[in-house]
Amino acid sequence: MSEDYKVADISLAEFGRKEIDIAQHEMPGLMAIRDKYAAEQPLKDVRIMGSLHMTIQTAVLIETLVALGAKVRWCSCNIFSTQDHAAAAIAATGVPVFAWKGESLEEYWWCTERALNFGDGQGPELIVDDGGDATLLIHKGYQLENGDRSFVDSEGGSLEEGVIKDLLKNLNEKQPQRWHGVVADWHGVSEETTTGVHRLYQMVEAGELLIPAINVNDSVTKSKFDNLYGCRESLLDGIKRATDVMIAGKVGVVCGYGDVGKGCAQALKGMGAQVIVSEVDPICALQATMEGFRVMPVEDSLGIGDIYVTTTGNKDIITPRSHAWHERSGHRL
Amino acid sequence: MRGMKDQAIVCNIGHFDNEIQMEALDESDAVKTNIKPQVDKYTFPGGNEIFMLAEGRLVNLGCATGHPSFVMSNSFANQTLAQIDLWKNKGKYENKVYLLSKELDEEVARLHLEKIGAKLTVLSKEQADYIGVDVTGPFKPAHYRY
Ligand SMILES: NC(=O)c1ccc[n+]([C@@H]2O[C@H](COP(=O)([O-])OP(=O)(O)OC[C@H]3O[C@@H](n4cnc5c(N)ncnc54)[C@H](O)[C@@H]3O)[C@@H](O)[C@H]2O)c1
Repeated sequence: MSEDYKVADISLAEFGRKEIDIAQHEMPGLMAIRDKYAAEQPLKDVRIMGSLHMTIQTAVLIETLVALGAKVRWCSCNIFSTQDHAAAAIAATGVPVFAWKGESLEEYWWCTERALNFGDGQGPELIVDDGGDATLLIHKGYQLENGDRSFVDSEGGSLEEGVIKDLLKNLNEKQPQRWHGVVADWHGVSEETTTGVHRLYQMVEAGELLIPAINVNDSVTKSKFDNLYGCRESLLDGIKRATDVMIAGKVGVVCGYGDVGKGCAQALKGMGAQVIVSEVDPICALQATMEGFRVMPVEDSLGIGDIYVTTTGNKDIITPRSHAWHERSGHRL
Repeated sequence: MRGMKDQAIVCNIGHFDNEIQMEALDESDAVKTNIKPQVDKYTFPGGNEIFMLAEGRLVNLGCATGHPSFVMSNSFANQTLAQIDLWKNKGKYENKVYLLSKELDEEVARLHLEKIGAKLTVLSKEQADYIGVDVTGPFKPAHYRY
């Protein structure tokens, strides 16, 4: 039998473990929960699947769930977000992890399916989701098994949607009751992010949600910290590692001024950039002006902006060609 | 993107990669040159160049390592408490979306204060009565926005 995990390089486990040890010192909340509940084992033998960026910090979350008694399987919720040494360190402890940095879309959804598969037809009893991809796969699979082919047979959609549809159709041929079996044992999902929570409320509205869900994003200690102060530090970390560009003196354009946008705008300002904000919500737009930011549609910033950051959770914010700009500048499209 | 300044940097930090129309960009007449993993240059026929980070996927996790541990400890403490709550109450909740209680929210914050040397002020019974809260919290009504 092959190993029940797939990571980039299991020999990175030792390095991963060193960084997990360091991270634990900076994660007092998780460590306190371990101390408080380890004896009681509130998650004893509970099958938990996670679809959440497989980073060093997530490794500390996984080991907390394990310390509370859970049987855990994990995948990332983004093709680029895995830290390979973190994945290796967790796989080395015997927790099945399916994640590596730079997955293809096919591999990504393969990983999600593998993490959802506890063997013998069993799925998870609880899910930790980030963005709602695990929840989506189960719900769409369940719909298909009910004879509703509207999603899998729909035309158009993104490349990624095509990959999901193919996966579901393949699974349906081989195991036509797979997802009904999973849903029978599934007791809930806790969702990490704004976009995933948005999807959940839409499912409730449509009467489609199959399990209770906890909106973790809207705990004050989540969205007013992670989304805001987290992005305030990690946005520039990403831009700097990618480009080494000098931020001071540049014009940053932040699309969306919610929790994430506020953190991004502050970070750019803090390092000496001028900041322009685009918003659709007059309250958030007014907030941006009170912080001293210019507010304008993104088209109006063309020719001025040096660094563009989208933070809206919405689609089609930046397009290859901007109609408004071409109209104003008189250029032909 | 065609109208952007030459050498502009474009990235997304929202959850999905549809905030920037990547498929349309890749199908456009812009020529793509890979600089290094997760950094691509697109050159438009007019000569304008822009840099796209992490193929339009979240830049902080694609080009760096996400948020620092301390802030994630807050998020993941909430996740862990949510998992315990879902399991403890299995069969009791409807198929709806719930929030964690304000007591748990305040507890998560409390767990992080000591580490960074913050010391809370304790309400007197008289003060607590005056503002209409319990000495041990919750300290705010549900509609409070922080
Ligand atoms: N990368 C990360 O680490 C990270 C962390 C937390 C959240 N997120 C994600 O970031 C996104 C934003 O999260 P948030 O909590 O800030 O959400 P939010 O709802 O607080 O903010 C989004 C803002 O965008 C605005 N907006 C919507 N459409 C717009 C448009 N066309 N033009 C300009 N503005 C527009 C909205 O009015 C809103 O104010 C979500 O996808 C979320 O899942 C990412």
